[in-house]
Amino acid sequence: MRIPPFSSPGLLLAGAVTLTALALWLLLPRSSSTRAARGVGYVFGTVALVAFIMSGRRMGCIGDEVVFSIVSIVAVVSGAATILTRSPVYSAIWFALSLAGVSGVLLVLGAQFLGVATIVVYAGAILVMFLFVLMLAQPSGLAPYDRVSNEPFLSAVSGAVLLGLLSLVIGRMSLNENFSESSAFAGFVANNPALLERQLLQDDHVARLGSQMFGRHLVSVEVAGVLLLVSLIGSIAIVSRNTESQSKTLLRGGLRDE
Amino acid sequence: MNEASLLNNALLVGAMLFSLGLVGMLTRRNLIVMFLSAELMLQGISVSLAAWSRFHDDWGGHILVIFVLTVAACEAAIALVYVLGVFGRTGILDVAAWQSLGNDSMEKQVDRELPSVDTLSPQWPRLTPAGVQPEIDQNELLEREHV
Repeated sequence: MRIPPFSSPGLLLAGAVTLTALALWLLLPRSSSTRAARGVGYVFGTVALVAFIMSGRRMGCIGDEVVFSIVSIVAVVSGAATILTRSPVYSAIWFALSLAGVSGVLLVLGAQFLGVATIVVYAGAILVMFLFVLMLAQPSGLAPYDRVSNEPFLSAVSGAVLLGLLSLVIGRMSLNENFSESSAFAGFVANNPALLERQLLQDDHVARLGSQMFGRHLVSVEVAGVLLLVSLIGSIAIVSRNTESQSKTLLRGGLRDE
Repeated sequence: MNEASLLNNALLVGAMLFSLGLVGMLTRRNLIVMFLSAELMLQGISVSLAAWSRFHDDWGGHILVIFVLTVAACEAAIALVYVLGVFGRTGILDVAAWQSLGNDSMEKQVDRELPSVDTLSPQWPRLTPAGVQPEIDQNELLEREHV
């Protein structure tokens, strides 16, 4: 099924892409950004989000689930705030909120372990590491490179065009009538009508995931463990090489002084 | 909500997160914010993978997301070490700081001149002059938002 370019979802999508590009351009840190321009950017961004939702509804790919809508709007809006805020510390905190939204989306999708792991690993470990580095390496106040972006207009346009193309493809996929039957699960049920239960939505979800990981994907787990070990040793080696060379030069200078 | 529309919603959310991360990666100049944008792109991919996994009732997507988490942790560890190294040498977190690295005997490579500092003059509130005018620190002036 194709979406003709001048139909109502097509036009709505084009308008949403244009508004997204304009809003991102107005809100990104620029040299000549004023408060009025940022206000217009907020309005454009809100209208663009509504237009995306409307065009998705026209193409039949947005449902009515309230919880999903709330968590996905939290994820997307705070994700946008991550890249638009000037201060990197605020960006990290907005990213944490976006992670909370993403883990909500994962929970709605039935991925319990992934939702919890996203919070624990990302917000608990990776984000805290980012904040440590920010505290170690933060010049006082807002640096010039935080307040002026590199080519904001071109990158906003490219991001918006990518988003438009992706949602066009998703809309075309959902307009296809026998798309639901293309699922592997639907095919499996059609062949074995007695087995109607979904593996992913059972009570022992985490146990099944674990048996998959340590059964079918055991070699991958080993490889991931080796990767973690190598990156741990590598980062320690890089840091200690730097400090060692510094201390050697210090020592040499001290010996020469004597 | 039926399965197909759940899949489409989640794919749309994943596409939005990925595009936002792409814009941030392309345009921001702070190295830390660039890494946060890369993580945002990874989040979009994770949402899409979990959605496909739910649609086909297959564990592959979940397993792949777990490995994405692992690789993201490794990547952040290594990258932050390099960022700290660059910060120790140059004192700034700009991506353009990489341009100044390298041997002294090598020719310096400068891709392009980055946009310069804010050109707007700050607008101060007008007050009645009283006493001696204090000396204005130019660096502090640059770091402030417009009043």
